[in-house]
Amino acid sequence: MKTYRTKGNIIFDVIIYVVMIFVLLICLVPFLYMLAVSLSAPKAIINNEVSFIPVGMNFEAYKQIFSYPNFFKAYGNTIFYTTVGTFISLCMTTLFAYPLSKHHLKGQKIAMKLVVFSMFFSGGLIPNYLLISSLRLTGTRFAMLLPFAINQFNLIILINFFKSIPNEIEEAALIDGLGYFGILRRIIVPLSKPALATIGLYTAVFFWNDWFNGLIYLNTDQFPVMLFLRNIVNGTSMLGDAAGSADKATIAISIKSAVIITSTLPIIILYPFLQKYFVKGLTVGSVKG
Amino acid sequence: MKKFLSLILVVTMVMALFTACGKKEAEDKKVVDSSKNQTENQDNQETEKPVKIRIYYSDNATLPFQDDWLTVKAAEEMFNVEFDWEVIPIADYSTKVSLALNTGTNTPDVILYQSTKGENASLALNGAIVPISDYSEFTPNFNKRVESFGLQDTVDKLKLADGKRYYLPSLYDVPFYDGGLILREDFLEAEGLEAPKTFDDLYKILKAYKAKNPDSYPLTILAGPRVLYRMTMPSYGVSLGKNGSSGTNTLSYDYDKKEYFPGAISEGYKEYISYLAKLYAEGLLDPEMADPINGDIWSQKMATGKSMATYAYYDQIGGLEGSTEIDGYKLQMYPSLEGTAGAHHQPKSSTGSGIIFPAKTAKRDDFERVVRTIDKVFFSEEGAKLWCLGVEGKTYTEENGKVKYADELVNSAEGIYKSLQVKYGCGSDVTQMVWVNEREMTKYDENYARINKEVAAMGDVIQAIPPTPLFDDMKAEDAGVLQTPLFDTFEVWADAFITGKKDVEKDWDTYVKEMKSLKIEEFCKIYNENLAK
Repeated sequence: MKTYRTKGNIIFDVIIYVVMIFVLLICLVPFLYMLAVSLSAPKAIINNEVSFIPVGMNFEAYKQIFSYPNFFKAYGNTIFYTTVGTFISLCMTTLFAYPLSKHHLKGQKIAMKLVVFSMFFSGGLIPNYLLISSLRLTGTRFAMLLPFAINQFNLIILINFFKSIPNEIEEAALIDGLGYFGILRRIIVPLSKPALATIGLYTAVFFWNDWFNGLIYLNTDQFPVMLFLRNIVNGTSMLGDAAGSADKATIAISIKSAVIITSTLPIIILYPFLQKYFVKGLTVGSVKG
Repeated sequence: MKKFLSLILVVTMVMALFTACGKKEAEDKKVVDSSKNQTENQDNQETEKPVKIRIYYSDNATLPFQDDWLTVKAAEEMFNVEFDWEVIPIADYSTKVSLALNTGTNTPDVILYQSTKGENASLALNGAIVPISDYSEFTPNFNKRVESFGLQDTVDKLKLADGKRYYLPSLYDVPFYDGGLILREDFLEAEGLEAPKTFDDLYKILKAYKAKNPDSYPLTILAGPRVLYRMTMPSYGVSLGKNGSSGTNTLSYDYDKKEYFPGAISEGYKEYISYLAKLYAEGLLDPEMADPINGDIWSQKMATGKSMATYAYYDQIGGLEGSTEIDGYKLQMYPSLEGTAGAHHQPKSSTGSGIIFPAKTAKRDDFERVVRTIDKVFFSEEGAKLWCLGVEGKTYTEENGKVKYADELVNSAEGIYKSLQVKYGCGSDVTQMVWVNEREMTKYDENYARINKEVAAMGDVIQAIPPTPLFDDMKAEDAGVLQTPLFDTFEVWADAFITGKKDVEKDWDTYVKEMKSLKIEEFCKIYNENLAK
C-alpha cells in the first residue's frame, strides 16, 4: 500500500482534521465548562471569572449533592435499571431476532410486518399506563425493565446481522447434531458480539437516561437518578403560577453542573470500551470488506 | 443446551421472585377501620391504630423533602396518622397527578398542592375528585379558619359550575408584599436621591446610574420579563401576559365596575408599554429578556454593577450582598410605585393551592376519618403552628404570644426562614395551609416587617385575584380557542413596542385593529357573561 502525499491530499487531510477537531470541541467544551463551574467558588461564578479552569477550587457543590436525601439511592436504582435492563433486553431481542432471520419460518413475514407496524403506531400514554397497571407492574421495578425490553430498531439491526452470517455454518452444525438453541448459543451469539455490543450500548444509554417511565410507573424510592437531576435543573423554572414562589427559588449553577457531571460521567466512561465493536457492529446488512 | 436451559430457568425464578415482592408492595394499603362512627374524643384516639394515608407531595429541589423532618414526624405522632409519602419532583408533578386522576388507578388517598384550575376542573366535573364541600361537617377546622380570616366569599368563589368546591385551599389572612422593586440604596445615598415613589422617580434614578455607568443596563429582569410585568402593570390598571392575574393573558379586571375589559388594547396598557419603550430606547432596560429563569445570570448582573435595579423577591437580597465585590453595596426593597392607576402590586389571592381527594378515597370505609385527620393535620391551630414554626420547645418558644426562635436558627448563616425550611420542613408551600402574616413576619428581619407595614398602610396595594368565570366544558373550549391566538399576537406586539421595532404612537391603531379582528371583544364578552352573579 503506497500513500501519495500530493499537495491536494495533504490539504484535504488538513480540512478533515480541522472539521473533526471542531466537532470534537463542540461536544467537549460545554462539558469542560460544566466541570469548571462545578468546582469553582460561588463568588467567582457570579462575578463571571470562570472559563475552563476552576477558580477558587472547592467541592461544596458536590458535598451538597451527596447530602441530598436519596441521591445515592437513586443512583443505585439507575445502575440497577441499566445493567439488568440491558441484560434482559439483549436476551429477549436475541431470542426474537434469531427466528425472524430465518426465511423458512412460517409467518415470519407477518411477524416482521407487525414489528414494523408497532414502530410507527403506539397506543399512547394513557392506554399504556392502564396496560402496565393491569399487568400489576406499577410500583415494581419491572415496570421500568419489561415494557422496553425490545426496541424494534435494534431488533431489525440484529435480524440483519444474523442474516449476514453464512447459512453453511448452520447447516454444518445441524449435521453435527446441534439443535437450534445450541446453534444460537455456541455459534451465532459469539459471532454477533459486535452487533450485540452496539445495541447493548444503545439500550444502556436508553435506560440510563429514561426518567419519564420511572416517573409514571414507580414509587419514590425506586426513582432513577435522572429524575432527580431533572428536578434540580428544571424544577425551579416552573412556569405559570402567578404567586411566583418558584421564581424565588433558584439553584446555584454550580450545583446544577455538579449534578450533570455526576450523572452523565459513568455512561460516557463506558463508551470508549465499546468503541472497538462499533466499527463492525452497525452495518444494516450490506457486504463488509 | 442443559446449561442454557438452567440459566433461563434461574433467570425466570429470580424474576418471579421480584414480581412477587413487588406485588406485595403494590397491594392496596387499605386499613379497614372497625369503628365507623368516629367521635372526636381523645381516649378513643389512643386506643385506635393510626390511620394510614398515601399522599402525593410536590418536591422542590431547593427544599428537598425528607421523611424524617421534625414536622413530619411530629404531625404523625400528634394526629395519630401514618403517612405514606409519594415524593414527586415538582417539574413533573402535574403529569403524575393527571395520570392518577385520569386513569383512576394507583391513585393516592390525598394529593397536596393542587387546585381546580385547568384540567382538574373538568376532571372534577366528571367525577374524578371528591366534592369536598359536600362533606363540610368533616372539616370543622378548615371552616373555622375560613370564618376567622373572613374568607367565606373568596372560598365560595372556588366552586365550579355545579356549585361544588373540590379542594381545601391554603388560606392567607393578609397577602404578603414579598417582592417588588429592589435597588441599590448605596447609589441613592451617594447621589443624594430620594427613595422612588412613582415610575418617573424610577426613571430619573436609572438615568442617573446610566450617566455614571454608560455601559450598564440599570434595570434588569429576573425570570424573563414576566416578573417585571406582573409586579408593575397593576399600577397602570392592567394585568396581562403570561402571568396576568386573570389567567386570560389579554383581559384585565376592572375592580370598580366588577367586570373584565380588553386590557391588551386599553389606554392603561398603552401608557405602560410607552414607558417601557422609553426605558429601552435610552438603554435603561436590560435587552436580555429571554425566559426561562436563569437566576445565575441575574445575580451576575446585579452583583457586578451591570445593573442596579430589578423586580425580584426580598429573600434574594442576602445572596447578592454576600457575593458582590463592590464596597458599600446595599440593596433595599421599596413599596409599589405609583403609575397612572395608583400604586399597586401584583394581585394576590387569599387562597392558594391546597388539598384534593381523588374519588377513590371516598370509597374507603374510613373516609370520614381520613378527611377529619387531614383537616386536623393542616388546619387546626396545633397543625398550623407546626407547619409554620415547628415544634414548641425545639425550634421555638412562646412567651406572652411572642415567638422566640432557638439560638441555632437565629445564628444560622442562611437566616431563620430558610433554615427552618431546609432543616425542619416548616414553611413549605406544599404542607403549610394556614398563613398568618404576623406569624410569618417573625421569621424575617425588622426591615422586611417595616416594608410590609408601609405597604399595608398605603391601602389596597395588593388587589384580589379577579373572579374566575364558571365555564362548562364547551364554554371553556370556546374561550380557549380565542385565547391562544390573542396571546400570541399580544406577545409579538409587546416585544415589538418595547424594542422600538414598532412605534407605540404610530402603530397602536394597527395593533388594536389586529386584536379586534382576533375577537378580543368577543373573548371579553364570554368572560363577563359567565361571571357568578
